[in-house]
Amino acid sequence: MAENLIQLLEGSTLNIWILSTAWLWPLLEMLHFVGLSLLLGAMLVIDIRLAGFVQKMHIRTTHDLLPVAGIGFLINTVTGVLFFVGDPARYTINVGFQIKMLLVLIAGLNALWFAIKINPEMHRWNPYADTNIAAKTVAYVSLVAWFGVLLLGRLIPYVSTG
Amino acid sequence: MFEWLEYSFLSIWVGESLWGYPIMLSLHAIGLAIVVGIFTMFNFRVLGLFESIEYSAFVDFFKLAWWGLLINTGSGVALFCSQATFYVTNTPFLVKISSIIIGSIIAFRIQSSLQLNAEKWDSKVTEPGSKDYLFAQSSLLLWACAIFGGRLIAYL
Repeated sequence: MAENLIQLLEGSTLNIWILSTAWLWPLLEMLHFVGLSLLLGAMLVIDIRLAGFVQKMHIRTTHDLLPVAGIGFLINTVTGVLFFVGDPARYTINVGFQIKMLLVLIAGLNALWFAIKINPEMHRWNPYADTNIAAKTVAYVSLVAWFGVLLLGRLIPYVSTG
Repeated sequence: MFEWLEYSFLSIWVGESLWGYPIMLSLHAIGLAIVVGIFTMFNFRVLGLFESIEYSAFVDFFKLAWWGLLINTGSGVALFCSQATFYVTNTPFLVKISSIIIGSIIAFRIQSSLQLNAEKWDSKVTEPGSKDYLFAQSSLLLWACAIFGGRLIAYL
C-alpha cells in the first residue's frame, strides 16, 4: 500500500512543484512551527487546567482557546500534507513519522472522548475547583500525545527506517 | 573563544555522541512550545481574544513559561557550543538570538504589569493601556522572528 502511495505521489504536479521551489520547504517549516506554537500553547493551558492545576482559572473559559488550537492544527495539517507529498518515500518508512501519526490519532480520539463524555457534564462542576479522575486522565493523555507528536516530529531526521 | 567552546566537554558530547544532538534538539522544541505557546495565548488575550478568561489565570502560566525559557537557554547553549564558530556569523541565528533577548525583556515587563494589574483588569476597574497593547504586539512579532530565524539557520 505504501509503495502505491509513493508511486502515486512521486512525479505528481504538486510533488514536482514542492521539490522545485527552493523557498517553499523553509517557508512550510516556519509555518509548521507557528502552527505547533498555537496548537501546543492552547492545549497546554486547556490541559493544565483540566488536570486540576491553576484552580483560580474558571474551567469552562479554557474552551475559548479551542479555536486557536484548531487553527494551529489546520496550519500543521496543510503544511504537513505538503511535506509528505514533497517526499513521500522518506516519510512513509520513517518510524518517527509513523509513531507521530499514531499519536495524532490517539490525541484525536482522546479529544472525541472529551467531547462526548466529559464536556457535557462540565457545567455541573465547581468551575474553580479540582477536577475528577476522568478529566485528569483526558488531560494527561492529551499532553503526552501532543508533546509526543512534537518530539517525534523533531526526531524524524534522526531515527531509522522501519 | 568560540573555537575553545567547540572543544569543551559539553560540545563534544552534543556534537559527536549519537544521542547528544537529538536530545538537545528535542528539549529545545519542548521549551519552544511552552515559551512561545504561553506568551502567545496571553498576548492574544490582551489584544482582545478569549475575553472570558481572567487575566489573573495567566500569572501561574507565566511561571511555567519561564521554566520553558530556562530549558531552552540550557539546550540552546549546548547546541550553540557544538558549532559556535558557525553560529556567531550566521545571520538568521543573530536575528533569532536578538529577538529572544528583547522578547524576554518584554515578557518580563508584561509579567510585571500583569502581576500589578490582573485583579483590576478582571474586575473592570481599569483596562490594559496602550503600553500593554504595544508590548503584546511586539511580543508576538519577536517570538515569530525567533522561530523564523531558528528555522532559517539550516538554510542560509
